[in-house]
Amino acid sequence: MKGRGIASDVLLGLAPIMLLLVIWQGAVSFGFAPATLLPPPGLVFMRMARQLVTTSFDQEILSTLFRLFAGFSIAVVLGVAIGLAAAVSPSINAAVRPIVRVLAPLPKVALYPALLLLLGFGHESKITLVAADALFPILLSTYYGASTVEQKLIWSAMAAGTPRRGILFKVILPAAAPSILTGCRIGLVISCIVVFLAEMITSTDGLGHVLITAARTFQAVDMFVPLITISLLGLILNGLLQAARSYLLRGFPEV
Amino acid sequence: MNLMPSRSELKVEAAPVANPAIPMIEIDHVSQVFQTSSHQDHLALSDISLTINDGAFVSILGPSGCGKSTLLYIVGGFVNPTQGVARMKGSPITGPGPDRGPVFQEFALFPWKSVLGNVMYGPRQQGVKAAEAEAQGRALIEMVGLKGFEHFYPKELSGGMKQRVALARTLAYHPEVLLMDEPFGALDAHTRTRLQNDLLNIWERDRKTVLFVTHSVDEAVFLSDRVVMMSRSPGRIKQIIDIDLPRPRRRTELLLDPRYQKYVVDIERMFDDAGDAELQP
Amino acid sequence: MTLRALIARLAPFLACLGLLAVWQVAALVLNNDSFPTALDSIRAIPSILGDKESLVNILASLRRMAVGFAVAVVVSIPLGLIMGRSRGVASFFNPLLMVIYPVPKAALMPIIMLWLGVGDLSKTLVIFLGVSLPVIYHSFEGAKAVEEKMLWSGAAMGLSALERLIRVVLPAALPDILTGCRTGLVLALITMVTSEMIARQSGAGNILFNALDMGQYDTVYAMIIIVGAMGICLDAAFERMRERLVRWSEPQFDIPLSFS
Repeated sequence: MKGRGIASDVLLGLAPIMLLLVIWQGAVSFGFAPATLLPPPGLVFMRMARQLVTTSFDQEILSTLFRLFAGFSIAVVLGVAIGLAAAVSPSINAAVRPIVRVLAPLPKVALYPALLLLLGFGHESKITLVAADALFPILLSTYYGASTVEQKLIWSAMAAGTPRRGILFKVILPAAAPSILTGCRIGLVISCIVVFLAEMITSTDGLGHVLITAARTFQAVDMFVPLITISLLGLILNGLLQAARSYLLRGFPEV
Repeated sequence: MNLMPSRSELKVEAAPVANPAIPMIEIDHVSQVFQTSSHQDHLALSDISLTINDGAFVSILGPSGCGKSTLLYIVGGFVNPTQGVARMKGSPITGPGPDRGPVFQEFALFPWKSVLGNVMYGPRQQGVKAAEAEAQGRALIEMVGLKGFEHFYPKELSGGMKQRVALARTLAYHPEVLLMDEPFGALDAHTRTRLQNDLLNIWERDRKTVLFVTHSVDEAVFLSDRVVMMSRSPGRIKQIIDIDLPRPRRRTELLLDPRYQKYVVDIERMFDDAGDAELQP
Repeated sequence: MTLRALIARLAPFLACLGLLAVWQVAALVLNNDSFPTALDSIRAIPSILGDKESLVNILASLRRMAVGFAVAVVVSIPLGLIMGRSRGVASFFNPLLMVIYPVPKAALMPIIMLWLGVGDLSKTLVIFLGVSLPVIYHSFEGAKAVEEKMLWSGAAMGLSALERLIRVVLPAALPDILTGCRTGLVLALITMVTSEMIARQSGAGNILFNALDMGQYDTVYAMIIIVGAMGICLDAAFERMRERLVRWSEPQFDIPLSFS
């Protein structure tokens, strides 16, 4: 029964993409858009295939991926740590809450020029921006999950002999795992988006930079390639995270 | 079946007592005040004093809101009493510990652990080696009737099965006192009667001290040596009744036993008279 | 009000002051040209707001954001509600939306610029796209969750399908819809700033990068404070309105945006 579930899930996931490709091809074939503005899908995918075997393009991908992972990892470590701390300690909670309320609605991308000034135009500024944007959903999800852990679970663990300081890692962290992983999923999507945008705004390399370069030379095909690449990367990474989530949360009832 | 006046020193003629001089659990003028959401004081328990000897199966019976669960949590060390003190074997209770093992109505199993993982949790916390803890765990799982389900996750189990796991998990760390908070309340009637029987069978083996909270007169009389009747908020002890029925108790025999029936009727009547008509049969 | 309650109410302001203080100290310690102190940056704010051209730019940004947001909301809420109640419509649009979701809308800027030029239209369109998705999604979820029995009661009272949609589904789904709008508002601001940073021509993002290019670092940071303040004010204002509209509902915790 599980096997059939996975197969039909994959098919269901592919269907919209198929549909989009059909619409795309249709738009081109029926002349809704000139080829210079909307190249046919076949051409784009051929170009993409050719690019993927070029080392220079692969290096751009690696650059983007590196910043994405670095920023996301920092966001996860900080977000989970602060979220847990705020959930178990009232004093940390009192300090963190107002700061998060102030910083969360700020468009962090507005900080980007400052980051460029302080950290230069290379990896660091982008990693920091990614981390700043991905941090808050992860922090808030962790806090929510950790602060709504069922009291009786904690009591059961204490009666079984768990010392107070062990409760955090033995009970609260595993019990909050579903929430934390949901927050991580949102954080991952945000990381993909932000790294791409940051590279588009200013960069010397990376997929976003590839798009801007192509835009400057009005090469429509070369513009679609990095866009589709980042979307595919996002889908693959999301899929991996979901798989990890399913495995880690195999004991939990479906939430 | 003498109905004794409340709050006098009572001893139970039950299983052999380890050290009759010091009672297992002593509740000494305990009161509990809670703050409601509108910042008012709510008196949940009012001056409760109770002595429970080793090996006794004692039920705390009362309508909802009478504070019986709160009393259990105080003995468990999960809640600190506003006034008074609870003692175990003479020493004041300051926090939870493996000498008093809880079983909750909501099961409270760790969803991220399998059945075996849950049961092994207590022993592992106490430093028992993995192989040994696993062997003990498997034995306990078999004892509660769940052999073959060791690697199932709680979400895959029925309510009755979950409660069996919860019981096994608590027994695994060998508590001297079992604190059971309406453990069968969330189960259907059929499962409830089966588990009542199974609980008594398991209890007969080593006769631990049991504090059993319930709102079912039936259940209290069937299971216990003593029934502590509590009134509605603020919770006070109305009466304590010794249940003088032979053990081992079989449900089919007991239901037809006039002594059992009289206990049930008398207790229900006592609640009715006081206006606490919310009791379930 | 007790001192404790007062501090609790003022906590966000205190947090702001705290953050500014940290900034001030850090800037003084680092003593770097490209990191002006908080006070210097704050001092630069009036000159930005006083400068006619900058003000025009900022107002243009807000205008684009407002238009994009408004059109998105007007289109997305009905679409989401209908999708929530009609399986056919849902299965038609769902796949499309799921594909567009992970694509950063601001990244479509260059392509859209290619098609529609560098003017207001392309930026507003991108904002529209960015806001639509969360609003559609939340309206969809909210409409889906409306209990059948409520609708049956409405039908029994003689309401037509359209009336049921407006008078039963809409109010019942309102908490979800407003959560979607809040997300949309956040995205509108982000998309606006980002699209202006990519397609420099006018707007707050443009001012930011112009100042960057010209080495006017005070202006850069001042502009950041202004944009940040816009974000906080919009969010706070929206939250207040939302609470008033859906006082009857339970607290929402969908996509975590902030402590409510």
